[in-house]
Amino acid sequence: MEFRTHIMVCAGTACVSCGSFNVKKVLEEEIKKRGLDKEILVVATGCQGFCAQGPIVVVQPDDIFYQLLTPEDVPFLVEEHFLKGRPVKKMMYTPPGEKTEIPTMSEIGFFNKQRLIALRNKGLIDAEQIDDYIGRNGYNALIKVLTEMTQDDVIKSIKDSGLRGRGGGGFPTGLKWEICKNSKGDLKYIICNADEGDPGAYMDRSIIESDPHSVIEGMLIGAIAIGAHEGVVYIRTEYPLAIKRLETAIEQAREYGLLGKDILGKGFDFDLRIKQGAGAFVCGEETALLASIEGKRGMPNKRPPFPAESGLWGKPTNINNVETWANIPWIILNGADRFASIGTEKSKGTKVFSLVGKINNTGLVEVPMGITLKEIIFDIGGGVPNGKKFKAVQMGGPSGGCIPAELGDTIIDYDSVNATGAIMGSGGMVVMDETTCMVDVAKYFLNFTQAESCGKCTFCRIGTKRMLEILQRICEGKGEEEDIEKLQELAAQIKDSSLCGLGQTAPNPVLTTLKYFRHEYEAHIRDKKCPAKSCKTLLTFEINDKCIGCGACARVCPTKAITGEKKKKHLIDQAKCIKCGACFDICKFSSIDKN
Amino acid sequence: MDGIKVYINGKEFEGKTGETVLELCRRNGIEIPTLCHDERLKPYSSCFLCVVEIEGMRTLQPSCSTKIRNDLKIVTTNERIKKSRKTALELLLSNHYADCLAPCSLRCPAGVDVQGYIALIEKGLYSEAVGLIKEKNPLPAICGRVCVRPCEVACRRNLVDENGVGIDYLKRYTTDKDFESGNKFMPVTKPDTGKKVCVIGAGPAGLTSAYYLSLEGHHVDIIEANPHGGGMLRYGIPEYRLPNDLIQKEIDSITELGTKIYYGKKFGKDLNYDHVKKNYDAMITTVGCQKGASMRVEDEDAEGVLSGIDYLRTMELTGKKFDFKGKKVATIGGGNTAMDCCRSALRCGASESYIIYRRTENEMPANPIEIHESKLEGVQYMFLTAPLKVNKDANGRLKSLRCIKMELGEPDKSGRRSPVPIKDSEFDIELDYILGAIGQKTDVDFLENINKNTEGEFKLNKYGDIDADPKTLQTGAKNIFAAGDAVTGAATLIEAIAQGRLAAKSCHQYLTGQAVVGECGEFVSKRDNFEEQDKKDYINEYYTQLREEMPVLPPEMRRNFNEVELGYSCDQAHNETARCLECGCEAYFTCDLKKYSTEYEINQKKYGGSFQKFSVDYSHPFIEIDNNKCILCSRCVRVCKEIVGAGALGLVNRGIKTFVAPSLGSSLKDSTCESCGMCIDTCPTGAINENKPFKPGPFVTEKIETVCNYCSIGCGITLHHKGGYFIKAEGRKTPANPDGNICKYAKFGYKYLNDSSRITKPMIKKNGEWKEASYGEAYDLIVQKIKAVKPEENSFMAGGRLTNEELFLTSRLARQAVKTNNLSSFLYHGRECAMKYNWFANVPFEDIDKAGAIYFIGCEIDKDNAVLGFRINSLKQDKNIKLVNIHKADDSSMNRKCDCSAKVDSYYNLVRAMNFIVVKDNLINKLFIDGNTERFEEYKADLLKADLSELVKKSGVTEEKVRKILGHYNEEQNSVIIFNEKNVSSQTIKEIFNLALLTGKLGKTASGVIALKEKNNAQGIFDMGITCCLEDGVQANMKQAWGFEKSECKKSHGDIKNLFIFGEDPVGCSDKAKDVSDMLKGISFKVVSDYFMTETAKLADVILPASFPIETGGSFSNTQKKIAVFETSVTPKSELFKDQLIALLNKLGVAVSYKSNADILADAIKIMGDGICSCDDCKYEFEITQDKCDRSGLKHGGDILIKIADDEFAEKLKK
Repeated sequence: MEFRTHIMVCAGTACVSCGSFNVKKVLEEEIKKRGLDKEILVVATGCQGFCAQGPIVVVQPDDIFYQLLTPEDVPFLVEEHFLKGRPVKKMMYTPPGEKTEIPTMSEIGFFNKQRLIALRNKGLIDAEQIDDYIGRNGYNALIKVLTEMTQDDVIKSIKDSGLRGRGGGGFPTGLKWEICKNSKGDLKYIICNADEGDPGAYMDRSIIESDPHSVIEGMLIGAIAIGAHEGVVYIRTEYPLAIKRLETAIEQAREYGLLGKDILGKGFDFDLRIKQGAGAFVCGEETALLASIEGKRGMPNKRPPFPAESGLWGKPTNINNVETWANIPWIILNGADRFASIGTEKSKGTKVFSLVGKINNTGLVEVPMGITLKEIIFDIGGGVPNGKKFKAVQMGGPSGGCIPAELGDTIIDYDSVNATGAIMGSGGMVVMDETTCMVDVAKYFLNFTQAESCGKCTFCRIGTKRMLEILQRICEGKGEEEDIEKLQELAAQIKDSSLCGLGQTAPNPVLTTLKYFRHEYEAHIRDKKCPAKSCKTLLTFEINDKCIGCGACARVCPTKAITGEKKKKHLIDQAKCIKCGACFDICKFSSIDKN
Repeated sequence: MDGIKVYINGKEFEGKTGETVLELCRRNGIEIPTLCHDERLKPYSSCFLCVVEIEGMRTLQPSCSTKIRNDLKIVTTNERIKKSRKTALELLLSNHYADCLAPCSLRCPAGVDVQGYIALIEKGLYSEAVGLIKEKNPLPAICGRVCVRPCEVACRRNLVDENGVGIDYLKRYTTDKDFESGNKFMPVTKPDTGKKVCVIGAGPAGLTSAYYLSLEGHHVDIIEANPHGGGMLRYGIPEYRLPNDLIQKEIDSITELGTKIYYGKKFGKDLNYDHVKKNYDAMITTVGCQKGASMRVEDEDAEGVLSGIDYLRTMELTGKKFDFKGKKVATIGGGNTAMDCCRSALRCGASESYIIYRRTENEMPANPIEIHESKLEGVQYMFLTAPLKVNKDANGRLKSLRCIKMELGEPDKSGRRSPVPIKDSEFDIELDYILGAIGQKTDVDFLENINKNTEGEFKLNKYGDIDADPKTLQTGAKNIFAAGDAVTGAATLIEAIAQGRLAAKSCHQYLTGQAVVGECGEFVSKRDNFEEQDKKDYINEYYTQLREEMPVLPPEMRRNFNEVELGYSCDQAHNETARCLECGCEAYFTCDLKKYSTEYEINQKKYGGSFQKFSVDYSHPFIEIDNNKCILCSRCVRVCKEIVGAGALGLVNRGIKTFVAPSLGSSLKDSTCESCGMCIDTCPTGAINENKPFKPGPFVTEKIETVCNYCSIGCGITLHHKGGYFIKAEGRKTPANPDGNICKYAKFGYKYLNDSSRITKPMIKKNGEWKEASYGEAYDLIVQKIKAVKPEENSFMAGGRLTNEELFLTSRLARQAVKTNNLSSFLYHGRECAMKYNWFANVPFEDIDKAGAIYFIGCEIDKDNAVLGFRINSLKQDKNIKLVNIHKADDSSMNRKCDCSAKVDSYYNLVRAMNFIVVKDNLINKLFIDGNTERFEEYKADLLKADLSELVKKSGVTEEKVRKILGHYNEEQNSVIIFNEKNVSSQTIKEIFNLALLTGKLGKTASGVIALKEKNNAQGIFDMGITCCLEDGVQANMKQAWGFEKSECKKSHGDIKNLFIFGEDPVGCSDKAKDVSDMLKGISFKVVSDYFMTETAKLADVILPASFPIETGGSFSNTQKKIAVFETSVTPKSELFKDQLIALLNKLGVAVSYKSNADILADAIKIMGDGICSCDDCKYEFEITQDKCDRSGLKHGGDILIKIADDEFAEKLKK
C-alpha cells in the first residue's frame, strides 16, 4: 500500500520513557477518526538521537520535525498539519537563545553536522520490520559477500577501510579478523559485545533498538570472513527493549533464511544466540565476557592468549562491539575507499557519541572523525545551558578522562584524544560547566570503577578503593598535602599491575583531572575550599544585605537553621546548617551567598 | 619444539615449550614471590606479587601467567618491581583485619609465645612447653611466680569476662611439672665456638644472657658479688613469694649448659677489667640497681629507718629475719617492693604493718593480687599520705613519722594524677621502723676501671644508668654489652630477661663477626592497627568462663616465709588453658603473606582505610573459613573446582567487598564439599584452617614423611607432631600421587595417633578379666597353646594395614614355625584365590592421562580413593576425558563429575550382557584374542548358553542402555575400567577382565583395568603370602627355605582351635557381627593384635599391642604393586609387633634374626618374588564365571582405623 505521508514516531528508550508510545497511539486514533489512515502511516522508529526534545515525531517526506509532544497536542497537530496542511510552528524546535522555530529536521544544527553510517537507518525504519531494513539496501552486503567475495576479499576490504574497534580499544578490525581467521581450530566463534556499561552511554543500545539487522548482517559478514558458524550477542539484561528487538530481528532473519543452515542457498551456516549478562561492568572486558558466557564468574584472564587464538570454550573467537558490527555492511556496500575518505589519517569513518551532562542538546550523535570537540559541543550540542561556562568534557567513561575547555579544538581521532590523557572509549561524552567540581567528577567515576571491580587483582580491588577514600577525604576538606602524591603513586601502580582494562584505566579520571585541574585539588586540600562550589562540606551559606525577610528560606530549611523576623534580614545558624542548599535555591533575591 | 632461549636478568636460560616465566625461574632457582600461584592449578594472576619487567612491554607482567617465547628479555627484580610488590602487599594488608600474634606475646617484653605454650600445656606436653618458653625466657619457674604479667593485662579474655587468662599460673604449672618429671627439658647447645664471655652479675639479665650465649656454643663465666645467684630475685624478693631452692634449680639449669658462676667476687674490686680483657672475648654487664633510693625527707638517717631493699637483702644475706615482734612498721611506697616489705614485716612479727602511699589504690603500680593478699594478711593502708619528716628521739632513733594528706591533681607524664598536699593536714604517726620502698638506683663504681682499657668509651646516661644502644645493648666499648636494670633503671624481671637475651644475641653477632644489629624485626599484622578491640565483638563470639583461682595458704598460716601460692591442680590448669581465645594466627609459621611482608618491610598502616570484617565460619566440622585473613587468591576456590571437582567454594560480591563463601549455601557443610581439606593445604595465609578438636598452637612442629594407611593408592603424606602429639597431615609428592594431593582420610584421620586409650602392653584374660602381662608371659601362653594342638588346627588372619614385613613374618610364623597353611585375611576370606591377580592388568596411575574414557564400576572414587579421583577430575578438565559412572547406589555422588551414568541392579549381569553382545554380534577384537589369549572358545561356548534378555533384565537397565555403554567403551581407543573390590564380586571382576580381553583393551599403555582396594597394604596380603593358595614356585621356595610342605586350606571353622587375628576387626566391622562373634566364640584360644580394644579384641584371650607404621617403619605395596618404603620415625609406645613375631618364631624353635626392615623385605622377595611367574610371554586366560555374590561382608576394610574415621565423618558431616 502506498502512503502519501509517514509519521515517524521515535521509539527509542528516551522517547518511550517520555511517553512516545502514548503519542503514537493517540496519533493513530486521531488519524483513523479523520479517515486519513489510508494515506498516512504511523511508524515507530528507533532512536532519533535528539533525546532532550523527546517525544519526537518527524513527518516524511517533508522532513518536518516536531518535539516535546504530548498526547494532548495530537488532535490539534493532526487537524492543522495533516488535514489543513499547515505545519504547527509551536511544536517545532527553537534553538536555545533564538526566537524562530526551525521547521525541518535537516536544518537543525543538531542533525546537519552529523554524518550517519552506523546510524544510517535511524528514524527511517521500523526496527521490528525486517522488510524496512531490506528496503533500505539491507542484507545486500551479505549477498555481495556470499556471491562476489572471498574471505580474504572481505578482510582486505575491512582492512582498507581503516575501521578500528569502536568499543574503545581502537584495534584495527580487519587485522583482528585476519588473526582469528588464521588461528587454527575446527570451531570458531563470533561475538557481539553489547555489554555497554559506561554511565551515561547508550550508543550500542540505541543501534540495536533502531537497527538490529545492521548488527546481524555485520556479524554474518564477519562470520563468513573468519569461518565461524556460531555467534553470540552478549547483552545486558538492563536493555529489555534492545533484547526484544534483537530477538525479533533474529527470528525474522531465520524466517528469511538469513540465519541458520545454508544461508541464501550458498552453503554457509551461521546462527546467532543472545546471552544476557547481569550487568557487571567488567564483563565488557573481552576475557571476562567470555568467562561469563561460559557460565563462570565474570573475571578477566591474562592475555595472551588473546581470544582470537583461544576464546570461547578455548576456541578462536572474534569479539567486536555493536557499533563496529553496524559499520560493516555499509563498508561492504559502499566500498572501503568511501569509508576511508571520511576522517583523519589514522581514524577513519564516523563515531557515535552520547552527548550528556551540562549541554542543551542531550542526545546521540554520529560525527565524522576529525570534527573538533567544540563543534560537537556547540554546533551540535547547542552549548552549555543557562549561560554557564563550558569547563570540560569527560570522554571514554570511567576509563577515560576529562579534557579541559582550553583543548576544545582537539579533533575526534584516536590518537589526538589519547594525547590529552582521555580516550575515545565507546563514545560517552559528558559535558561539564563551571559548577562542576573536578575532584568530585574524579570521585564519581572512581566510585563506579571500584564498585565494579571484579575483585580479582589486588591493585584494582583495594587500590581503587584507597584512591576513592583519598578523594572522599579531599572533598570533605580533610585532604593532606601528600595526598596528591599518594594518588599519583597509586594510580601509576594500579595501571601497571592490573589484568584488564578496568583496572588499567580506572585511575584515568583522576590522572587527567590532576593534570588539568590540579589547582582545584590544591584548593580543597590547602584552602579547604571547593572552587566550583559544589562540595557541600566545604561550603558556607550566609545571608547578605539583599535579604528582604520574606521568610521563604526559613520555611524550606529542613533543620530550622534560619531564623529572623518578618521583613528583616534573616540569619543562618552555622551549627545547625547541613548545607543542603535549599535556601540558596529558593531565594529570589540573590540574598544568600554560597562560599 | 623445545629449547626456547630466554634472558633473565641478563643471563641466558633455556626454557621449555608452554612454560611460564615463573616456572622457568623456579626451575633455575630464581626466587619470585607469589601468593596466588599453585603449580597444580591453571595460572590465575590476582595477587600481582610475581610481577616482572619484560622488555617491550609497557606494564609489569605477572610471571605466573606469562608464557615464555624466544628472546624474551626478563628482569625479575629492580626498584620498580620491588615497589610494585611492596604496594601490592601493603594494599592486601590494609584489608587484612587479623592478628599474626596474640596480644599477650606482643605485649610480653621478652616476646614469649604464650599461645603456643598454652596449647602445649593443654596436650600435657609440659617439657615441650618449657622448651618453647625457654626460647625467649630461661627462668620460667621464677617468672611463673613473680612476673608482673603484662601479658595478662593485654589478654583478650579480659574483653569477654573481665579477667585475662592465668598465663603466669600456667607457666608455673608447666615448669613445676617439668621439674617433677625427673627428666626436665634440656636445650640442645651448638658446638663449642671457643669464644669466652664474661658476664658481670648473676641476676636475671646475667643468667639469661649466659643461657643464650651457651646455646650458641660460647663459654660463659659469671662474676657475682653475692654468695648466691639470682640477684634481686633472691635478695629483693622474699621467700614466701619465691623460694630460694627454686631459684637455685633454674640457675642450675643454666650452669648445666657449661656456664660457671664465681660467687663473692665483686667486679672492679675483686676482679679487674684488665683480667676480663685478657681472658675473654666480650663482656656483658648486668649489675642491676642495688641501691635503695632516698625518700628525701628530713632525718631519714634515724635509726630504724632503712631502705626496703636493704631490709630484704640483709635478711637474705644474714639468713636471719628481723625481729619486729610487737613493733609498728611502715612501708613507704606503692610498688611491688613495698608489697614485699609490708608483707615481710608481718612475717617478722610486726604488730602493725602500714603502707603509706601518696596516691590511691588505683594508681598503685603493685600487682593487684599482691595488694589483695597483703590486705588479707592484715596490712593497713594509708592512701593519699606522704611522709614529711622523721621524728627522732634523743638517741637518734625513730620515734614517729610526720605525714601530710594529699589529694589528686592533674595527670602527670605517666598519665597518673599527681598528688598535691592538702594544706594544714600534717599529722604524726608513731612507728618503730620505716622501710623506704620508693625506688632503686644503679651503682656503677667500676667505670674508670673499664675506661682505662677500652678503645671506645663506656659511659653512663643522664639517669646514671649504663649507656647502651637500645637496639643492640652494645655500649660505647664495642666488646662490652649491658643489660637489665643497670641499663633501664629499676624495671621488671621480664624486662631484664628480654634485655639479657638481646644482649646475648648482639654479643653473639659480635663474636661471630656479623654486623651487630640485635633482633631483626618480623612483620606482624594486628587487628589493633585497624581499630581498638571492642568488647561487643568478643562477648558474642565466646562463652564466659571465669578464671581458675590460685590456691593459697590461708592468711592465718602465713606468719612465716613459706610459699603462699600453692600452684594449680591438673584440672585447674587444663580448665585455664581452655580460656585462651587463640588470638594469634594458626598459620603463623607457614604464612606466605607474612613471609613476604617481612621481606618487603611492609607498613600495614600505609594504605589504611575502610576494611572488611567477618566472623569466622566454624560451621564445617573440619574446615574453618576466616575471611578476615583472605587475600582472594582463589586457590581454595580453584582447587575445589579444578582438582577436586566439587565446586563447593565460590566468590561473592565485587570490588573490595568480595569474599570466599560456600557455593549456594550458607554453610560449607551443606554444600557439595567433600571435606578433603585440599583448600586448607593450598591456602597461602591462615584464611582456611583445619577446625581442630584441640588447641592448634601454633608451634614449630617436627615432620614425618610416611605413607598413608587408609586406602590402596599409597599416597605419601607428611605428619606434623610435637613431642609425639600429632597436629596436622599434609599431602606429599610421591610417584603414586605426583601432585601431593590429600583426601579426608589422610587429612583429618590422623587423630587416632594421639588416642590415649591405645593398648601398649600385652594383656591376658584371666577369669573373664583383662590383666596386663609381660611379653614373656604372653609368649609362653601362646607357645603352649600352639604346641597343644595339631599344626593345622592353628589359623592366622592378618589385615591389610600391616606392613609387608609384619605380614611376611606372620607367614613365616604360621608356615615355618607352626607348620600350618591356614593363612588368610578377613578382608578376602573365602575369595582370595579369585582376587589374587586383580593388580595384574592395572593401568599405571601416571598413564591415565592417555585414556579416552574411564568407566567406574561400583566405585565411589570421590569417597573411597579420592586422590585418584582428583587426578582423574583434573585430567577431565584439561583433556576432556569421558567419564562413565556405573553404580548401584541410589544417589551416587560421582554422577555429578561424570558425563553419563547408569544405575544398575547387578554389575555382574551388566558386564556379562555386554560380553554376550560383543561375542554374539561379533564385535570382538579377533587379532588381540588370537595373539594374546587362551580359552576363548571355551568361554564363548559357556557365555552363549546364557539368555541375553535374562541378563539384561537382571542388570536393571535396558538393552539399549547396555548397548550404549558397550558402544562407548568399545569405540574408544583407550578405555579404562576402574572398580573397587569392596563393591564387586570376584565373578564380576573376572567378567570385567573378560570384557577387556574380548575388546582387546588390556595390556596397552592406557587401556586396562584398575582394581582399587580398601586397605593401604591389601596388596601386601597377597604379595606376602597371607593366603592358602600359593604358586608352585613360591611353594618350592618355602619348602627349600623353611621346610614347609603345603597342606590343604581348612574349610571348616570347627577344625580350628587356635586363631590369631593381626590388625583386623571382623566383629566390629562386620555386617553380621553376631555371626562372626559366635564363630569366634567357638574357637577355644584367640590372640588379637591391635591398637585399641576392638570388638574382636574383646573376645580374645591374649592381646598383643600393635605398632603404628611410623613406629615400626617398613613398606606397603599399593594396589598397583608399587612398594613404598618408609622409616621408623617415632619412639614406639610398645614392643614392636615385628619383634613380637620374631620372638614367637624363636620361642617356637626357628632362629630368626633380621638387622632391618630392608633385610626382612629382601628375604620376602627372595621367597615370594622368585616364585611368581613373570607373565611377559604368558597369555591372558578367559575365565568362566557364575552369578554368585561373594563380596566381603566387612565394612571399613575390616580395619578399626577406617572405622574410627568413617564413624567420625558419618557423625560430624551428617546434614
